[in-house]
Amino acid sequence: MFDLLPDRLPWFVGGPILGLLIVGLFVLANQPLGASGAYVQTSNLLRRHDGVVIWRVFYFAGLFIGGVLATRVFRTGTEGVRSGYDALREVFPLGVTIPLVLGGAILLGYGAAVAGGCTSGHGMCGTAQRSPASIAVTITFMITAIATTFILRAATGGAL
Amino acid sequence: MKLNLIGLAFGIMFGGVLGASNLHEYDTIHSMLAFEELDVFFFMASAIAVSAPLLWLLERRGMKTPYGGELSLSRSKPERHHIKGGALFGIGWAIAGTCPAPALVMLSSGALLSLIAIPGIFIGLRIHERQQRNGLHVGDGEHRQFVTVSK
Repeated sequence: MFDLLPDRLPWFVGGPILGLLIVGLFVLANQPLGASGAYVQTSNLLRRHDGVVIWRVFYFAGLFIGGVLATRVFRTGTEGVRSGYDALREVFPLGVTIPLVLGGAILLGYGAAVAGGCTSGHGMCGTAQRSPASIAVTITFMITAIATTFILRAATGGAL
Repeated sequence: MKLNLIGLAFGIMFGGVLGASNLHEYDTIHSMLAFEELDVFFFMASAIAVSAPLLWLLERRGMKTPYGGELSLSRSKPERHHIKGGALFGIGWAIAGTCPAPALVMLSSGALLSLIAIPGIFIGLRIHERQQRNGLHVGDGEHRQFVTVSK
């Protein structure tokens, strides 16, 4: 809508801003800026569980709203819809892409629950707290993610 | 109520930074993990480089937070479930090219297959919740504060 943002914010701007957001949420509420926990609370709310940490649901909604602002409102030429997985779609038919995305998402959701956090909760906030567990999780998921990427590349003959 | 507004505001800012940095794009994550472009590694490293010293300083001064009591950072010891969960998370992250926060921004950006990815993440979390009732280990990390509240 409005042409306010560059095509991509450089890492040396986005990274430090995110660092300040991490500090900000700890300073105000003593809480990590994680995301998988917000899914857990949103899921609990939808299933009408007791003891829902409601601010995490507001945070979940905020992530979506912030995404709309950054990708749509403050940018031009991003109207309409797309698959979001064009790279996969060039290699696989839709009947393979959908199970692949679903399977990957189930694995990462399950893994985040078992580990107690995801890229933001352990990878950034946990590491910033110098938590040995978070550092171990982060090193582990980086290794398996990089290995998986190269296995996918080899399995598709370099297409992916 | 104030905490809800804080949550909403931080969600908006976090989602905004992710979207502005294109971290919701499969291609961004895929080319990072294939070492074709190192920006996301630098992004994560600079976020940690800014936050880690500040958190260390604030904790040392025994800071009182307005809505969460005294600032207390988590220093859990690595256990088997951290390694297992991290390993599975990494595999899924590489396949789906997204993780929990960027998946929501994917939806914001009009990427329709996020409607497969987001429910997938919910399903994965739910599978673990069901196992928990059978006595399996509970995650700590970011999920520490509601280990006692979720049934």
